[in-house]
Amino acid sequence: MDVDFAWTAVAFILTLLTLSYLLGDNPLFRLVVYLFVGVSAGYVAVILLFEVIVPRLVSPLLFGSPAEKLLALAPAALSLLLLFKLSPRLTTLGNPSMAFLVGSGAAVIIGGAVSGTLFGQIRGAIQPFALSQSGGGLQAGSQLLGGLILLIGTVSTLIYFQFSARRKANQQPARAAVVQLAAFGGQIFIAITLGALYAGVLAAALTALIERFDFLRTAIQTFLQ
Amino acid sequence: MRAPISTAFAIATGLLVLVGAFLPLPVLLPIRQILLSWTIPVAATAGLIAILNLLSVHWRKLNSARERDYYSIILLLAFVATFAAGLILSPTDPDFQKIVTHIQFPVEASLMGVLTVTLTYASIRLFQRKRGWLAVLFTASTILFLILLSGFLNVSENLPFVKELLAALNTLPIAGARGILLGIALGSITTGLRILIGADRPYSG
Repeated sequence: MDVDFAWTAVAFILTLLTLSYLLGDNPLFRLVVYLFVGVSAGYVAVILLFEVIVPRLVSPLLFGSPAEKLLALAPAALSLLLLFKLSPRLTTLGNPSMAFLVGSGAAVIIGGAVSGTLFGQIRGAIQPFALSQSGGGLQAGSQLLGGLILLIGTVSTLIYFQFSARRKANQQPARAAVVQLAAFGGQIFIAITLGALYAGVLAAALTALIERFDFLRTAIQTFLQ
Repeated sequence: MRAPISTAFAIATGLLVLVGAFLPLPVLLPIRQILLSWTIPVAATAGLIAILNLLSVHWRKLNSARERDYYSIILLLAFVATFAAGLILSPTDPDFQKIVTHIQFPVEASLMGVLTVTLTYASIRLFQRKRGWLAVLFTASTILFLILLSGFLNVSENLPFVKELLAALNTLPIAGARGILLGIALGSITTGLRILIGADRPYSG
């Protein structure tokens, strides 16, 4: 039997077993899910070993120059300490390594959020108000109106997630009327956005389903030849 | 004070990386570079430990007398076979890559396809349980954007009014998305800063 034919048969069977979930949760679907997790874990482990740990840790320690060996000592020690996380009794010995990861991760996330999201989105919100780049009067007006609607939507969405309220004597804590009104507007924009995102996910999933049915059809044709 | 050494480690590392990112001082740049280069293999080791933990959990489930899970043997065998194949062939080998194209991809794509039915079913059930103006608006937005994404209205894009209308409709979700993104960014910054000042210590377990 041809090797490619066998692999196509494997993909065909796995597709059928996964799609069997459409009839409800069943043992065949679970079998595929466990197989998928096992294969994925094995694949990720191989990639981590060959692409990161060997070239960045093992090779410098064994074959690097003295300076490279010295630089690789710290991550090697941190990695060794991290192994103690596998033992419930010795888990605290792995805390410094986790602290190193969390500290550098937090700093990278802050940097990314500030320069990537915060500045980028604020720049995007300001851009429609730069009328010097727009053309005539009507075009400038529609650009300004669009920018204003976007700004109102952005601010009201942010206000919707502001849940702190002032407590008054003998009264339930409630947000100020202006905040409540803005939050109501925010709800409208959030519903529209989530609807659009949901439509996007649904369209992508539908495309994948059509592609799988097409694969099944092509595979059956190949088997019958 | 809980876990003082680890806290000092987290604060020092975080501050050096963060300050190095915003202040391009010649002293800080190499230190930041070295710290980030150390993070990558340590994070990879953490990933391997997570996989080892997953395997140990399934090994225990397989050997548990009370709730024995026979599916775990599939997971363990699949892991061993893939890992051994990867070690023998290396990840760049075309035969090893067939694991991705003929096992992982079909299952992933099929799971994505199954999502179509489960998402539709879930949204119908949610709509039946919670009927309000927000649910109606959400459904209307979903239907509208499904029509827009289908490209069905692209035929009438030659008409200037329709083109303007479609452009305006497409910008509406941007406002909400921008608000949500800014909220996520502000939340991330707050959480990160709480870690960098030692108020939160998720590593001291």
